[in-house]
Amino acid sequence: MDLSAYEDYAETLEALDDEMRFEYLLDIAKKKRREPFPEEAMDEAHLMHGCMSRVWILHDIDEDRHYFRGHSDAAIVKGLVTMMTDSFSGLTTAELAQITLDHVRRLNLGALTTQRQVGMMAMLKHLQKLAGARPGFPSGPGAA
Amino acid sequence: MTMGAMTAASAVREMPAHGRNTYDPAAVRADFPILSRTVYNRPLCFLDNGASAQKPQSVLDAIQHSYASEYANVHRGAHFLSGAATEAYEGVREKVAALLNAPEPETVVFTKSVTEAINLVACSWAEANLSAGDEIVITQMEHHANIVPWQLLRDRKGVVLKVARVEDDGRFDLERFAELLTGRTRLVSVTHVSNVLGTVVPVAEVTRLAKAAGACVLIDGAQGVVHQPVDVQAIGCDFYAFTGHKLYGPTGIGVLYGTAERLASMPPWQGGGDMIETVSFEKTVYAEPPLRFEAGTPPFVQAIGLGAAIDYVRALGMEAIGAHEHALCHHAMGALREIPGVRPIGEAPDKAAIVSFVVDGLHSMDVGAILDRQGVAVRVGHHCAQPLMARMGIESTVRASMALYNTTEEIDALAAGIRHAQKLLA
Ligand SMILES: Cc1ncc(COP(=O)(O)O)c(C=O)c1O
Repeated sequence: MDLSAYEDYAETLEALDDEMRFEYLLDIAKKKRREPFPEEAMDEAHLMHGCMSRVWILHDIDEDRHYFRGHSDAAIVKGLVTMMTDSFSGLTTAELAQITLDHVRRLNLGALTTQRQVGMMAMLKHLQKLAGARPGFPSGPGAA
Repeated sequence: MTMGAMTAASAVREMPAHGRNTYDPAAVRADFPILSRTVYNRPLCFLDNGASAQKPQSVLDAIQHSYASEYANVHRGAHFLSGAATEAYEGVREKVAALLNAPEPETVVFTKSVTEAINLVACSWAEANLSAGDEIVITQMEHHANIVPWQLLRDRKGVVLKVARVEDDGRFDLERFAELLTGRTRLVSVTHVSNVLGTVVPVAEVTRLAKAAGACVLIDGAQGVVHQPVDVQAIGCDFYAFTGHKLYGPTGIGVLYGTAERLASMPPWQGGGDMIETVSFEKTVYAEPPLRFEAGTPPFVQAIGLGAAIDYVRALGMEAIGAHEHALCHHAMGALREIPGVRPIGEAPDKAAIVSFVVDGLHSMDVGAILDRQGVAVRVGHHCAQPLMARMGIESTVRASMALYNTTEEIDALAAGIRHAQKLLA
């Protein structure tokens, strides 16, 4: 499977020290993108629940491959979600199902503290769920 | 030898009885080993005490001593160590009773947390006494721990949940609260101190009004018991719950105080060892309170740790701790108001030392992350109080919650960190 975007991120992060990783993440968040996250997709339907900040994920399928775009109202989380959606776009359902927490851990060195690591694990599961590469779970009491 | 005598902390030993004027944060800090560590090569500035407080050496020693020298299961063994452990565990009941001015140690039930204490009341007292149409009054500033158990009860029994309003500045309006009380009000369950706003609810007046309406009263004292003296008899409440880890004690231990009459009338909520008098397959006789509500091996080492924590704060004096924290809170509110673009959430007069705020144009999480890089530990998010966030029209806040060992220098580091975040994220 093609994980070149993922490898790029992982290698860049590995080459940076703690302080610089943090700024790198903010840079990713601030960078103008060819396909920015559409304003109208920042809605309830695209919200990923369970995050401290709001995270929206847009999922498209093209020739059996999954493409994701992500956005957050928090800059650091936007950096993280951008890294995740870039890393794991273009994969088939079967390939996506093979991505593990170890992959995520490699994107997660030093400066990105444990709490954010948990958030990134949740993001991976969310991407896999959207792509049907992971079964969903029923939500808690009070949920419709 | 009692645990208290053995583990008296240095700051406490050297402190004259008249505490207030001689409160010495530097001496107090020396009692907390973790406060001397660094994070990201910077001094740790720990302002997330509302979530959980750090532990003095005397608490760590008490836990160590229990496991190393006095360990055996409580209430069971016919041997020396079991007796010693039981004595230490039961001794903590007396310390808790003294802390809360509860009339007797038997009114103190150990739980694993305040969350479990509230669920105990919901599953025992409320389950047995409430029926469809009965009303429970809570407030908009409750922690989820004092919301969800009542929603679960609502789903089981069809009770009605009514919510008292919090004013824009975080004040609790007694008159508005009183308007919610009716002939069907069976329970009033309110926080003593808001974990987000710092608002101190006038719980004695709330109790008086609730009692006049014939309701039972439960106070969530998770934040209440750490910032000020508490007297459950003066409050007059039926139940008062708190959690050990916010009071400088270990995790896994909480307390439910209940009046003797209430506890005696309540059925058990969990079954097992320790909570029975006799068991046969035909008939089981339950133990008297408090053991009736403590099924299974209790977290007695954690309770012993809590006992040491109570010794610690009582030696410093809850009044002196409160005064120190009030001064810090005042300093913090002043420092925040001076920063353009910073808006405090919760400005009730005489609030406890919990300061929430938002920064214009910045997400709380980003502010928190940048503060973290400066060594300043705060909490960001909804603080397990999503309905309160909705009420205030915000998604999240940054929260600095102060403890007995914080200093004005740390508040200044917080303020500097906020300005730095504004620069970095602009
Ligand atoms: C007001 C209040 N109630 C309840 C809780 C829950 O405490 P615990 O998780 O220890 O049960 C907290 C702490 O998070 C709190 O601040």
